[in-house]
Amino acid sequence: MTVLATQEYTAAVLVAVPLVVALELLVLRTGLFARRAYWVSMAIVFFFQALVDGWLTKLVAPIVIYEREEISGIRFPFDIPIEDFGFGFAMITLTLLVWERAGRRRPGTLDER
Amino acid sequence: MDRYQYLLLMGACVLVTLPLEFVFGARVWRRPRRLLIALVPTLVIFLVWDVWAIERGQWTYGSRWVSGIELPGSLPLEELVFFVVIPVCGLLTYEAVGRMLAGQRPWRRSRELS
Repeated sequence: MTVLATQEYTAAVLVAVPLVVALELLVLRTGLFARRAYWVSMAIVFFFQALVDGWLTKLVAPIVIYEREEISGIRFPFDIPIEDFGFGFAMITLTLLVWERAGRRRPGTLDER
Repeated sequence: MDRYQYLLLMGACVLVTLPLEFVFGARVWRRPRRLLIALVPTLVIFLVWDVWAIERGQWTYGSRWVSGIELPGSLPLEELVFFVVIPVCGLLTYEAVGRMLAGQRPWRRSRELS
């Protein structure tokens, strides 16, 4: 638990990811996680995140500079702190969940596409 | 131009994903109300997270690559742009992929309402 106590960004991501998953499973229940389109999209999103985030975090000329004490120190791929992928997962999944919810015509009915 | 690098990167993300809307028929930009609803919670939560992280010294921004325009909470303008642009990219991907997996022709109008 030392990780949670000291590395704040790591800890925040470890809280955010299960929170978003719980939001879907317990509250919104949009069915997003059962959709193939979601998982294919996330694979594409992670690929492009590696490019964009890789540019933002590259250690030779970083746009975003991380405090070494607050991250796990695992940087992959390129110089991306591994936590960023949890951050990205939470951010995109939350957006898609609300999008799905907002697009539902009637409560309890999944829209067809 | 250096100090517009972050903004230019975000602009590139918008441009690169535009074909998803207009060639692959994603219909995200064209459903502005639903888009706004989808963006607001993410925007609020992640801006709060960002301000907290900056305040706690978890990360900072390379002053050479940002415009220098700051929002309350020492938040670079670029971060606000990021939390709009990247979720939109995610939505465009999701909608375009959904359209393709459903085997619909890109140019066919969706039956779905806004």
